[in-house]
Amino acid sequence: MASKVMARKSRVPFIATVVVLLVVTLFPIYWVVRMSFTTNKEIFSGSSALVPRAPTATNYLRVLGFMDSETSLKLGGSGQKINFLRFLANSLLVSSLVTVSQVLFSAAAAYAFARLRFPGRDKLFAAYISALMVPSIVMTIPNFILVKNLGWLNTYLGIAAPALLMTPYAVFFLRQFFLGINRELEEAAYIDGAGKLKVFSSVVLPMSTTCLVALAVITFITQWNDYMWPLIVGKDESVRLLTVALGIFRSQTPNGLPDWGGLMAGTTLAIVPTLAIFVAFGRRIVDSINFSGFR
Amino acid sequence: MGINRYRLAAIGIALLGAAAVGMASAEPVTIKYALWDPNQLPAYQKVAEDFMAKNPDIKITIDQAGWNDYWTGLQTAMVGGTAPDVFTDHLAKVTDFAGKGQVVDIEPLVKRDKVDTSIYLPGLADLWTKDGKRYGLPKDWDTIALVVNKKVQAEVGITDKELANLTWNPKDGGTFQKVIAKLSLDKNGNNGLSPKFDPKNVVRYGFEVQHSDDRGQSQFSAFALSTGWYYTDGTFNANYHYDDPRFIATIDWFKRMVAKGFIAPYELTALSQYTLFTPQKAAMVLDGSWMIGFYLNNADFPVAFYQTPIGPVGRKSMTNGLADSIWTGCKHKEEAWRWVKYLASAEAETTVGTFGVVFPAVKAGVDKALAAYKAKSKDVSAFTELATGKKTTFVYPVLDHGVEVAQIMTQSFDMIFLGKGETAATLKAANAKVNALFK
Amino acid sequence: MQGSRARRRKLRDYASSLGFIVPSLIGFVVFFAVPLFRGLYISFTDWDLLGKAHWVAADNYRRLLADADFWNSVLVTFEYVLWNIPIQTVIALGIALVMRRLKSSSLLRGAIIVPWLLPNVVAALLALAILDPAIGVLNEGIKALGLRPLAFLTTTELAMPSIAGINTWKFMGYTALIIFTGMQGIPAEVDEAALIDGATGFTAFRKITLPLLRPVLAFVLVTSVIGSFQVYDTVAIATRGGPVNATWVINFFIYKNAFEGYKMGYATAASMLLFLLLVGIGFLQIKLMRAGESD
Repeated sequence: MASKVMARKSRVPFIATVVVLLVVTLFPIYWVVRMSFTTNKEIFSGSSALVPRAPTATNYLRVLGFMDSETSLKLGGSGQKINFLRFLANSLLVSSLVTVSQVLFSAAAAYAFARLRFPGRDKLFAAYISALMVPSIVMTIPNFILVKNLGWLNTYLGIAAPALLMTPYAVFFLRQFFLGINRELEEAAYIDGAGKLKVFSSVVLPMSTTCLVALAVITFITQWNDYMWPLIVGKDESVRLLTVALGIFRSQTPNGLPDWGGLMAGTTLAIVPTLAIFVAFGRRIVDSINFSGFR
Repeated sequence: MGINRYRLAAIGIALLGAAAVGMASAEPVTIKYALWDPNQLPAYQKVAEDFMAKNPDIKITIDQAGWNDYWTGLQTAMVGGTAPDVFTDHLAKVTDFAGKGQVVDIEPLVKRDKVDTSIYLPGLADLWTKDGKRYGLPKDWDTIALVVNKKVQAEVGITDKELANLTWNPKDGGTFQKVIAKLSLDKNGNNGLSPKFDPKNVVRYGFEVQHSDDRGQSQFSAFALSTGWYYTDGTFNANYHYDDPRFIATIDWFKRMVAKGFIAPYELTALSQYTLFTPQKAAMVLDGSWMIGFYLNNADFPVAFYQTPIGPVGRKSMTNGLADSIWTGCKHKEEAWRWVKYLASAEAETTVGTFGVVFPAVKAGVDKALAAYKAKSKDVSAFTELATGKKTTFVYPVLDHGVEVAQIMTQSFDMIFLGKGETAATLKAANAKVNALFK
Repeated sequence: MQGSRARRRKLRDYASSLGFIVPSLIGFVVFFAVPLFRGLYISFTDWDLLGKAHWVAADNYRRLLADADFWNSVLVTFEYVLWNIPIQTVIALGIALVMRRLKSSSLLRGAIIVPWLLPNVVAALLALAILDPAIGVLNEGIKALGLRPLAFLTTTELAMPSIAGINTWKFMGYTALIIFTGMQGIPAEVDEAALIDGATGFTAFRKITLPLLRPVLAFVLVTSVIGSFQVYDTVAIATRGGPVNATWVINFFIYKNAFEGYKMGYATAASMLLFLLLVGIGFLQIKLMRAGESD
């Protein structure tokens, strides 16, 4: 009885909260899409109408490379054609490569930190965590020189290299999860005579799919949106990533403004794959995880 | 005797044959060229095609990276040893690059090939020299001029003649102040000349000025310099004078105009030079010739360009020029030089000029460029007249510590225009800090 | 005999455990540890990025500690973190609770994550457009309500809170999702028990749910604080460190010195100090959270 009254009383503020949340979260996204269908001329005229006065698909044509330089320049875009599909494919390839590899090797390390014993284990883990706190600029130039010396500049491998085998975040994340798994199944497998590798691959990994998928999605999206590193390592068109390619729609002159229409159209197109991945795997992420945090 | 002759001939033929085979199968040398402005990309692609047709043993690849990433990318590439062979250079950066040994001194090559530097607009070539060394040949230039919303101009009743002959001084602002007052409009329909004008409820400002850095290229430069003031004791001299009374008076004039409601307040214009201009919330703006295309393409009202106002010592406009430099780590300096030489030639620069994006540094090309703009029905003579006028153009000093000076002055102007610092005191303190950098 | 066989078995045990670590260790050493030590070395030199590096011992550090700009950056960054983290975490908690109430509809999950999918650079540019004092849509809305428009990014008072706001918007959904995931371990009976007890929703939350959430919150807080201290893209694009130096965060100070000032040694020294600060704060947080762990 009491709970029913409680529920009814709190329904209105609750719905209001949800509505406010959705508006605040989605309005700027709507704005991205709205700008993507507006001509630059209209954008610069300061119109903030909710729907563009003269909606157009020209921005998308420009982004996808279906427009010639002259028209592009007239519409306020740059004169350069961008090979959108190529860059999209590059991003898909690199992000997938990094995701699979990083999750796999980080999981192995996380398992070792959570369950196995060896000298220096906790000190090494503390070192891994410390790597989370190193400002990225410290790593950018030395890594760039290393990748160049390895001959990996302008290759997919070079772009993927720093995150390929692990990131501190991934190891941290998975180790916390592994700590919370019920030990009994593992112990049973050990008693049965299984080796560490078998226990890991046949018992622990299958039990952790939800968490692994969560990390995979996070890794994929983080790698997808990476800008600084792929910019300096993957300049060549053959390996250029989408986020870097979209940089062409940013301001080309000091103190200038971007090619808004092109930028927003490019952004809308670039979000689609990541959103799709998230929606596809979203269910797995939030279904029954027993996340245990610190130990 | 006979044997020697035949043997010589045989050797000669063998050598010729080897050379022929060598040339035929020789890989063309690839020269990487970098620039930042994508609007100029089609122009330079054409120049590269023309060059490669004349020089089949060289291949030019063009790499474009936007301004935001251009310099960081260039520096990282220099550190990593992968910098482009030739790149578009900027006066603000060349001193640093030269000091750190990253750009090639082409003076010996200029002398060797007898390159004629008198074909350029006067003064441009010298900017790229320092202590007898030369780091680039001028390829284009730009100036600053007034950009006016013709629709508003007509509404308010200002003639073209008035705009072409504006006067200015820091005391009462000359006819320029009257014009921007007339162009300003408040909520109730009063313009700035009316005593009922409400500076707190302005719907259209007469003039828009973005917050400024040490150069004030599109902000205060034309005004300050028309009082006879200059930043330092000379283009290559590092004794700054931001505490000069003429400069302080200029900045104070701007502040007064903001208080009166004729110039938009700082808070509204930090985004860009034209945030208020294109939505017609400001009627006039000062901007550079590289923005011509932008205004003509993106303003949905007619736009016209006028020369900067006539100050106490005449009209002034800041000019800047770009050049192409060769990276010292380039492995094919001779081929790179041939490309640079071609880029700096009248032929290449005129080609670039015909695309109507920049003005070429060669005198002969300027008319062609003007004609190209006219063909697209753009009258940009305001810029060219300023460039070719007597003593109208000036360059910002070419010195070290550019970044620190910019930081000090930008923050000082922020303080002044946000009302957090009194003009004279702030400028005096800033000037002291700036000059301390050079001790 | 027994002793050495046992020892050998132990060594083999260690070796197989290490096998799990090795791939991640390679990644860690090559791409994190080596650059870190190299950075440490550079911080003791006067390297100007393009020339030779000369040893200057602790000169950089001495100058940093006397540099008013540096201390301003530290202060400004703390200000940012103090605006960003509490607000972002509280909102994320709220969103997670809302999601729990709604039994996690996929639509809501997809919606709240979309801000996080935007690349940093685009989000900052979007903020510039929406928050513009003259033509931004947010101010149009404010004006429609009869209030004076706010210059979010161009006044010294509002700039930093606005930057914090932008990043809160970007990360609140993502943070909420992680917290929500952690909440999965808390059975629904806990909520009901609290209601029956007569406790209001909030007290129940505070006394029961929150303590159970401590481990997840710890993970979230540690990673967000570390990320927060390293804010860069948003500032570089939306305010460029201004107005005056109101948003001149420490990473901006570092990048400016490194790439525009050619003072790589100096910038790296500042990075090292930032690193030390983060290590201190990070491990302090871990210690504090560990103390309060319940289960």
